[in-house]
This record gives sequence, C-alpha cells and structure tokens, in this order.
Amino acid sequence: MKKFLLTIPAFLFFYYCNAQQTFQLAPPMLKYHSVFFKTSEMVLMQFAQPATNIFFTLNGKEPTQNDSHYNKPIEIRKSFTTLKAKVFGDGFLPSETVTVTFIKDGLKIKSVEATQPNEKYPGNGPQTLFDNEGGMSNNQSKNFMGYQTDSVVINVSLEKKQKITAVLLDFLRDHGSWIFLPQSIRVYYFDDTKNEFQFLTGKEINPDSSQQSSATVFEKLNTDKKVVSDKIKIVLKPLSSIPAWHPGKEQHGWMFIDEIKIY
Amino acid sequence: MQRRNFIKNSSLTMAALMVKPNFPFTQDTILGQGNKRYKIDTKWSQADVAKYPVNDCHEMIQDKKGRILLLTNETHNNVLIYDKKGKILDSWGHEYPGAHGLTLFDENGTEVLFICDNKRHQVIKTTIDGRVLMVLDYPKETGQYTQAEEYIPTETAITPNGDIYVADGYGKDFIMHYDASGKLINYFGGRGTEEKHLLNAHGVCLDYRNGGEPVLIVTSRQQNAFKRYNLAGEFINTISLPGAWVCRPVIKGDYLYSAVLQSNSRLWQHSGFVTILDKNYKVVSNLAGSEPNYIDGKPDEMYQTIKCFSYPHDVCIDDEENLYIAQWNSDKVYPYKLIPVV
Repeated sequence: MKKFLLTIPAFLFFYYCNAQQTFQLAPPMLKYHSVFFKTSEMVLMQFAQPATNIFFTLNGKEPTQNDSHYNKPIEIRKSFTTLKAKVFGDGFLPSETVTVTFIKDGLKIKSVEATQPNEKYPGNGPQTLFDNEGGMSNNQSKNFMGYQTDSVVINVSLEKKQKITAVLLDFLRDHGSWIFLPQSIRVYYFDDTKNEFQFLTGKEINPDSSQQSSATVFEKLNTDKKVVSDKIKIVLKPLSSIPAWHPGKEQHGWMFIDEIKIY
Repeated sequence: MQRRNFIKNSSLTMAALMVKPNFPFTQDTILGQGNKRYKIDTKWSQADVAKYPVNDCHEMIQDKKGRILLLTNETHNNVLIYDKKGKILDSWGHEYPGAHGLTLFDENGTEVLFICDNKRHQVIKTTIDGRVLMVLDYPKETGQYTQAEEYIPTETAITPNGDIYVADGYGKDFIMHYDASGKLINYFGGRGTEEKHLLNAHGVCLDYRNGGEPVLIVTSRQQNAFKRYNLAGEFINTISLPGAWVCRPVIKGDYLYSAVLQSNSRLWQHSGFVTILDKNYKVVSNLAGSEPNYIDGKPDEMYQTIKCFSYPHDVCIDDEENLYIAQWNSDKVYPYKLIPVV
C-alpha cells in the first residue's frame, strides 16, 4: 500500500517533467460581406483544424461548449445582433473569442457631404459613409475615410423629414497604426422653425490604453428629444494630442470612419 | 435551428466526455497534415541569454559539418552556431545591425555565406567563420536607385557558377543579377501592375527539382504568392497562396518549405504558421495552420489555427529532415525545432 501511495507522486512528477506545452487555438475565421446589412447577412465560419469545434452565441454571452455548435452558415436578421464565436479542441486552450455586431440599415439617407479626407485614405468618396459596407478592421480598406485634421464636419440629408431617435457612427480603432476614436462627437439637427441647426446629442471619448488590437467600434448616440428633421450635421474632433502612454505622444492622432446610420 | 444544434451538440459533448478523459499533457501537439507532420520542441536552444542574446531571428542554414547557423540582427553575436541538439558551438559577427538574409553556397568545396543587411543596404559575402570576402553596394548601375537608403536587400540565391541574385525585398522589389565577381548583369521584377511585378520580394531561391535549367522562385509576400522566373529574369507564372504572407522559399528534397509571417485574415496579430508545398507547388501541409484545401485547383484561404508561432520568418531543414523555425519580432525567442512524426 505504502509503495502504491509513493507511486502516485512519482507518476505525477513523471508527467509533470514530460508535460508538453499546451498551445492556444487561434480564433475562428469569420466570413461575411459587411457588418452593415439591409435585410439580412450570412455569416460563414471556418476552422480547418481536425478535432476542433466552433461554438457561438448570439445573445452577447461568452461562448461555451454548451452553446450552439457551428455547422452551417448563419443568417443574421435582427439589428445589433452580437455574434461571439470561439474554438474548442482537446489538448488545446480554447481560442480567444471573436465578437462582431451586425447593424441593420436605418433611415434612408439621400446624400452625405463630408470634409475632404486625407489624400491617402479617401475611401470611395462621401457615399462610403452610407453604402452598408464595412466593419472590417483593415486600415487599408477602401471602406474607410481617414482624417488627421482638427475637425471633421459631415452633413447628412435624409430622403424625407422623419423622427430622429439615434445616430450611429462606425470608427476604426487601431492604436498601433495611430488610429483613435474621435475625442468628441457632436450631432446637430436642422430646425425648420428656427431655420438653423440645433444641438441634438454628443459624446466625449478618452483613448483607452488597454485596447491593443485593431477593431471597428460603433458609437450609438441616442436622443430623447422629440425631433423631426431631414438634415443632420455631425462634428467630429479627431484626437488632437496622443496621450503619453503611446509612442506617438503629443502628436495628432488619425481618425478612420466607415459608416453612419440615422435611426 | 440553434436549439436543435444545441441539443445535438450537447449530447455529442456528453458522449465525448464519457469516453475520453481530457489529459492534454499526455499527448504531444502534432503540427501539420498528411505525411508532413511534426512534434514541436520550443526549448531546443540551450543558449544562455546573457552570453548569446538574440533580437529578431531572421534566417538559418545548415553547413556541411551538420552545424545550424542562425542569423540575428543582435550585434553582440550576429551569427550563432548550434549543433543539432541546440548546444551553442560558436558565434561571430558584430557589424550587421540589419542582418536579414543568410544563404550558404558551396564554392568549389568551400562553404561561403551571403548576408543581406537591410540597415547597411549591402550584401556581404563571408567565409563560414565570418571573414569578409566581398561587399555589394546598392545597384546604382541599374539607374533605379539614387541613394543607398532606397535599397533594402532581404535575400540572395547563388547559381552553381557563382552568379548572385539579390532580392531588394524591403526596397524597390527588384531582383538584381550579378556575376560571381559582383558585376551587375541584369535586373528584373520591381513594382507595378503586371503579373511579373512584385510586392515585398522578401525571398529568392533556385529550384532544381524538375531537372534542366533551374528556375528562380521569388516571394511576393504582400501578394501572398511566389512568382517563378527563368535565370534571365523572364516571368513564368505565379503560385498563389491566399492568406499566407510567405517569407523565403526553402527547397529540400522534393518539397518547398516557407515560414508564413502572418495570416492575411489576422494582420499584425502574431498569426504565423509554416507551409509546405510539393514538387507541383501544391500545399500539402500547414504547420499550425489550416488544413490545405483546393477547390478547382485553387487553394482556399489559409490561416493560423494553433498559436505556437508568432511571426515565423524562416525554415531550415537539416540532414535528418528536422525543421528549425526562426522568428521575427517574437519577444527575442530562440528558434524552435520540429521533429518529423513517422
């Protein structure tokens, strides 16, 4: 018996010494046209590594092996659906979670006029901002208009006068490429009775030093004012002085925007 | 739909739990597919970091004595010489701050090295123990360069008669062709919109596998491809490798090996792997990467699946078919060894 008890630590020690490194799986590969959609969006997921499985949720919760197992493309129909997907496999640490929020089209936009972007990142002109294309974190993508100016003004004309409840702006955050969210967003609506723009909603944003990887970030600004209009003016202030924790400290940050939605 | 999946799946998980206890440490991680599968040893190098530091580990070769030579841009010791067990045998070199490309050439029975230094903007030919034999400056005779800084050579390939091909992979993407004495004969490639043009011509090698005159294989890394040319620099064809930021091609036996710096789907997120192509340039195995799949003769997009490499930069295959993987920008990690699974 004593001998047997001794073999247990010996056995464990043996295994400890021979323990192989446990590696983490890479995140699953997601394929979709755009996070912005008119009626629905198909999402394909891939992970060509035998004996692994992709699990996902659509309720914003962290996927576990008790959640849905991916086996065929999924169709997203509901706006602001957040897909979270993760790979699990025996002998490996589960992957990081991939998170994507899909956003449905809002009120019909007739046209957009915007401050001229930097010549290196012109996007596809002002229609870039309402083409339902984007949400991919590739800063070389033509979906983004890039700015390094102090102020960016975007005038949005709707197809008709409508009640406005929210404004959504989609940005790229890629601190490694000196691309930050704007430090301030201010939204105005055109008031016919006063014949001038009135403040609707706004937000101030401080750069978050914990955000390392490149991602698109949407800012949805709601309003409880009962406003009816067909003209919206958005004034964005790209980060004028990069904070001290970044290698580009005190320099002007970049701002990349790819989509605007009015609800 | 999701509920059905959930049920099916949870019963599968349950079944799996019942039959198979989960002891990850009892099994080695196997990388790759088919008959190109490997076990990984991340602790192969026995180098003492205080004595033999590395920065980026760029490229590796094996000499005819069986020693493994590593080129790093750490000027404390630009070249580390290992035995196959990972023991340091020797080191040399302090004058290569941009040490990047390392090519071995057997010059009438004597092995010599060609180092591409992308900070010095030069190619340096040395003896195996580091004595400088020849220095090639920037190729102003091409008329394509006005100053040395525009030329950032990354790799060389040497023909049996000593002709030198240099890839300006971080400069203007031209391939320079010199004779053995260093006289420029020709140049080709460069950037542009045609298929013969290159984008990030990171590597070059000679392919003798099909007999006859060897063919040059040049990396066009940002295009996720290799491009083939004859020795006169005439374009032959493209080998498209979607998703794979391939570094230099390395040929051993019937196979072509290449470190993939990163996956196109996850740029600058430590998403590298290693790819192996057969004689017909078909991907047969991705080590820590997606299982190769061809649809109508075209490879599916490839990507990292296991995070065991960060930014692999070169593969060296030794005389026993073991692989050594050098990595760029990966926390100054020493090379890993991969041992074939038979």
